[in-house]
Amino acid sequence: MFRYESLEDCPLDEDEDAFQGLGEEDEEIDQFNDDTFGSGAVDDDWQEAHERLAELEEKLPVAVNEQTGNGERDEMDLLGDHEENLAERLSKMVIENELEDPAIMRAVQTRPVLQPQPGSLNSSIWDGSEVLRRIRGPLLAQEMPTVSVLEYALPQRPPQGPEDDRDLSERALPRRSTSPIIGSPPVRAVPIGTPPKQMAVPSFTQQILCPKPVHVRPPMPPRYPAPYGERMSPNQLCSVPNSSLLGHPFPPSVPPVLSPLQRAQLLGGAQLQPGRMSPSQFARVPGFVGSPLAAMNPKLLQGRVGQMLPPAPGFRAFFSAPPSATPPPQQHPPGPGPHLQNLRSQAPMFRPDTTHLHPQHRRLLHQRQQQNRNQHRNLNGAGDRGSHRSSHQDHLRKDPYANLMLQREKDWVSKIQMMQLQSTDPYLDDFYYQNYFEKLEKLSAAEEIQGDGPKKERTKLITPQVAKLEHAYKPVQFEGSLGKLTVSSVNNPRKMIDAVVTSRSEDDETKEKQVRDKRRKTLVIIEKTYSLLLDVEDYERRYLLSLEEERPALMDERKHKICSMYDNLRGKLPGQERPGDDHFVQIMCIRKGKRMVARILPFLSTEQAADILMTTARNLPFLIKKDAQDEVLPCLLSPFSLLLYHLPSVTITSLLQQLMNLPQSAATPAPSNPHLTAVLQNKFGLSLLLVLLSRGEDLQSSEPATEPTRNNQWTEVMFMATRELLRIPQAALAKPISIPTNLVSLFSRYVDQQKLNLLETKLQLVQGIR
Amino acid sequence: MNYMPGTASLIEDIDKKHLVLLRDGRTLIGFLRSIDQFANLVLHQTVERIHVGKKYGDIPRGIFVVRGENVVLLGEINLEKESDTPLQQVSIEEILEEQRVEQQTKLEAEKLKVQALKDRGLSIPRADTLDEY
Repeated sequence: MFRYESLEDCPLDEDEDAFQGLGEEDEEIDQFNDDTFGSGAVDDDWQEAHERLAELEEKLPVAVNEQTGNGERDEMDLLGDHEENLAERLSKMVIENELEDPAIMRAVQTRPVLQPQPGSLNSSIWDGSEVLRRIRGPLLAQEMPTVSVLEYALPQRPPQGPEDDRDLSERALPRRSTSPIIGSPPVRAVPIGTPPKQMAVPSFTQQILCPKPVHVRPPMPPRYPAPYGERMSPNQLCSVPNSSLLGHPFPPSVPPVLSPLQRAQLLGGAQLQPGRMSPSQFARVPGFVGSPLAAMNPKLLQGRVGQMLPPAPGFRAFFSAPPSATPPPQQHPPGPGPHLQNLRSQAPMFRPDTTHLHPQHRRLLHQRQQQNRNQHRNLNGAGDRGSHRSSHQDHLRKDPYANLMLQREKDWVSKIQMMQLQSTDPYLDDFYYQNYFEKLEKLSAAEEIQGDGPKKERTKLITPQVAKLEHAYKPVQFEGSLGKLTVSSVNNPRKMIDAVVTSRSEDDETKEKQVRDKRRKTLVIIEKTYSLLLDVEDYERRYLLSLEEERPALMDERKHKICSMYDNLRGKLPGQERPGDDHFVQIMCIRKGKRMVARILPFLSTEQAADILMTTARNLPFLIKKDAQDEVLPCLLSPFSLLLYHLPSVTITSLLQQLMNLPQSAATPAPSNPHLTAVLQNKFGLSLLLVLLSRGEDLQSSEPATEPTRNNQWTEVMFMATRELLRIPQAALAKPISIPTNLVSLFSRYVDQQKLNLLETKLQLVQGIR
Repeated sequence: MNYMPGTASLIEDIDKKHLVLLRDGRTLIGFLRSIDQFANLVLHQTVERIHVGKKYGDIPRGIFVVRGENVVLLGEINLEKESDTPLQQVSIEEILEEQRVEQQTKLEAEKLKVQALKDRGLSIPRADTLDEY
């Protein structure tokens, strides 16, 4: 640090003493730097350790075959004085975090691999699992704990004297990813090095290479999985007869992680508390309906009970079949076959508790069970397998790496996924899913009514429903701190920017900005009104779900919302008797606004709706112009038509006047009628006009002629209307959405035959012309 | 067993051969051995397949652990139909060479394009300078 290229660089070159002093300090500092030069550098030389182990590995084949102490001792010397420490450490070893990690354990156990394994598989150091399994066996058989490279490479641990007699299980929870809610991934109850009571895997003794240091360790007393208070890991549960988790599934050939059944065997039966579920695994989530395991158990039982010895590699329980329903093979040696068959014959009696499952889920399950039963019956009788499945099954059969992911690990992931589906209001959170399945159910219900076979079970994924818990969030407060420290978190987010809305004076803004602002305001109003609309539309469902007492309140709310919607649409301003059209027109200029109005109309009262219609008719040309790009106006036709059927003829008459922009009196003919032209040239306009006319005609023909004034008005208007229609050139007319049938009779009343023909051709009223 | 109908879950895909497309464009083929809730994948006997035109080459890679966020898509490979492909397998060296040639031609084309645009006073922001998101 204090080195300089040359003396000239040194600023203190004048002061030689000081420089000397610096140099000395330098050396002192360096000397004290243990990590770089001292013991720290030397001790943790993992490379050295690895090399030693490598040497060790080379010696192992010899050692294994001999199985004598001599070889062991030689190799002991190799490792030097590490051995004794190792032995000590191992004997006092509690479940190390690393060792509980199945992934690390597997990686670790690759270390002692020596012989290249014959067979079709590539055996590189990374394809360790097969080898691992082989190693596991003899290790256990010979009552030796494994040596972990990690252990080896770690800095020396302080002797754990007081912990000697402490049970392993009382150690703190493993470091690895323990989540308080979800629970940690499956934890092994039994420390790795626990020797078995019996020889669980005799078939592998020949093959195994015993890592050297293993011999050194004094035989470990069999460790029983101690009860963790009221906790039981699924491993233990599985060992309990008839436990709900029983039947650990397809074990790997020789699992580095022992299957619970095997483990239970090995340990010679522990004192277990039957029937208790590990809260860490399942019960943490309030209201969590049973685990998916519950459903799988019977199937597990079918295959697994009685299967103590590991089957041929690559066995897969049948319910891991792919959805395409190619059941996996049963690869048992003939021995377990009949045993299995016995079991399976009992299986149909055993009805799993699948009530919490989605009905479709359940149905598929049972279907698959059926299939598999048939399959296995065939298999056991050397039946015929579909040839198209055979290659897949072959592959599975030969796959020694299958089931590296244990069933409980799959369940664990599955459980997390289920938890993510929890919802207090599934209709809100998962609207489309709910609707989709409702539709599906209705469809099949309809089909069933038509009469078919047995009723299929409706299967639905029933997600756990959690009660809504209101937590008042209290931000963290530190004691003794001056003032309030605000720590921002997800529940207590900090405001990032104080955005203050300043309304600017009109002088500053340009015309464009004004327009833009106005449009923005309109958009905001549309959004608010839309929210109200969605709420109102939802009331029906809520009504059904609610209790009796709540219903009046709901109705009131609904009414209130409808009123506010209308006010929003019409733009009620204080101090105005009749609101101007402008607000409404602005809303109608926007595509979303038009669609929204179409949806709102059914909820409005007749008067309100009529008002809307009138305003629309009045401003139709403008709206048509604005709609040129969107062409959304036709969506309004149907609600308007419905509305028209409720309107009295007075309204109809005035509507017609508005729509056609007819002058008030018949005497003054307008020179040209661009309003009407625009209306007629637009699909919506023309259609509306025709529907209006039709409605008027209906009213006229149905009503007795009691009110002459009204009749006169109508007649006048009709005269004017026909006059205008005749004037319009045909070429520009739009094609209406629908043509009411009674228009011919309508017109025939007011015009003579010639003109009627003209009108007919013009408006294409007669079907034949088209 | 269909663990969760109506959902997308990888549990049933375990121990099957899959083709995984990563965000950086690599194609991996391997046996899916393990998953977790983030769809991190453990692929076994993985092979990286490079496609150039009608040819492809496989590079054996061993075990892959893929972080879930880097997966674009993955799909099961039908073992029977796997060999039924019009593509031609070539050696690794050859495919790498082909790939290099392809990259080069692409680069050159890109260069020409950029130059042409520059001549006309335009510039297009390059996709690699923009982030993937």
